[in-house]
Amino acid sequence: MNLTAKRNNKLLIHKNMKTIISLENSIDIILTPQFYTFIREELDVKFSYQAKQIAGSLFDDYLDHSKEYQYHVSKCDNLWCFFAYNIEEIDVFLESVGIEKHRVSKIYFAQQLIDELKSPILLDEKSVLQNIDNVVTLVPLQIMDTSVEYNSLDMNSFKLKGGITMGSSLNSYVSLKDTVLLSSIFCILGAISIFEGDRIKNSIYKDNAKLTELLDENPRYTSSLARESILAKYAPIDKKERAKRQAIKDISKLLSNKSQLKTLSIDKNKIQAMIKIENKSSSRQIKEHAFSKKFKFSASALDVKVEKRL
Amino acid sequence: MNIMTLQRYRNEIILLLTALFAIFAFYYKLSATNYVNENKALIQKQISEIVEIESYKKQWKSKGMAKKVKIFKTIVPASKIKLFSKKSSKVKVSYINLSTNDLDKITNKLLNMPIQIIKLQIKESRKNKFTMEFTCKW
Repeated sequence: MNLTAKRNNKLLIHKNMKTIISLENSIDIILTPQFYTFIREELDVKFSYQAKQIAGSLFDDYLDHSKEYQYHVSKCDNLWCFFAYNIEEIDVFLESVGIEKHRVSKIYFAQQLIDELKSPILLDEKSVLQNIDNVVTLVPLQIMDTSVEYNSLDMNSFKLKGGITMGSSLNSYVSLKDTVLLSSIFCILGAISIFEGDRIKNSIYKDNAKLTELLDENPRYTSSLARESILAKYAPIDKKERAKRQAIKDISKLLSNKSQLKTLSIDKNKIQAMIKIENKSSSRQIKEHAFSKKFKFSASALDVKVEKRL
Repeated sequence: MNIMTLQRYRNEIILLLTALFAIFAFYYKLSATNYVNENKALIQKQISEIVEIESYKKQWKSKGMAKKVKIFKTIVPASKIKLFSKKSSKVKVSYINLSTNDLDKITNKLLNMPIQIIKLQIKESRKNKFTMEFTCKW
């Protein structure tokens, strides 16, 4: 049996193992039952996290309550396999045999070697690894029959599944389930915020592009002073010219078949018209309409005068 | 901090990273909102000013106006035109003996033309006959 890490990346860990002198690469370790307690149960649960929740109570009668244990659960055919181990104890032991924590990639349990244990394996001069009722068990060599033939364990001949990491073996303050749930919520909120932020920013890009296009066509409008000065020039013209036109239209509405335009004049600030009427009742009508259009009204005999400041 | 410690606090680290991502994303959204609030009104004001200037210029500084005002020379028979003077961007027209129809025609044309009316004078010269004078510029 080869227990050095130089030629294998898997290493069987047992209490009487020799110290590892040079370990250059990462390794996977296989714990013998000296480092864990194993229970196999038939449970009516579907998922391993559900099984893990009740792991503590299963081991209640078997473990030392003064120590803190970690649990690993895996499915073994139709049963659930529970492993209880103390990672700090394992950590201390690994340090003592020269294996640095960061060199350990994954931790496996010797229970996975069940298929390799058709014959017992001699671990050291005192103990033997043996399959007893499908449970990998450590047996003292002295109680073994002398006629038993021991097998050797070829680390390259089998593959291990699952495994746990050193860090994840330690109890975390937040459960994996909560981590997945909360992280998903944070990621979704973050994604929504980024999407919203982009959408909000894009809403201004359209206007920005339009402004750039307009300024490219008319570079002298870049200055707000230039724009304000041009607007100050044209806005009053526009306002006054519209007022003049509207006033002429309003005056034309004052005319009827009983009234006729006599004069109409527009100068810089004023529009005024003289209207010849046939009778006084027409004057009243024109007066009403003129007031509604905010004209000043004056009448003398059969002439009426309307005027408005522009 | 070694790998084991990182693994030990893996869940907390994942939570912290995703929470930081959510916070930064929210901050990005806030800053985008602030940026848009500050700039959108300003940009839209600039656009509306430029559009307004262009529309004013198009209306009151039309380039083809010199040709368009020639209509006032042909809108009524030449015998009714007392004066038609066009200099630079200014036109001065004087009509006599205009009928009510002539007067309406000229007035409508004048009102619908984007031109500044500097002075307008309409007088009834005799029964249903009018004189009209106007000075416009563009």
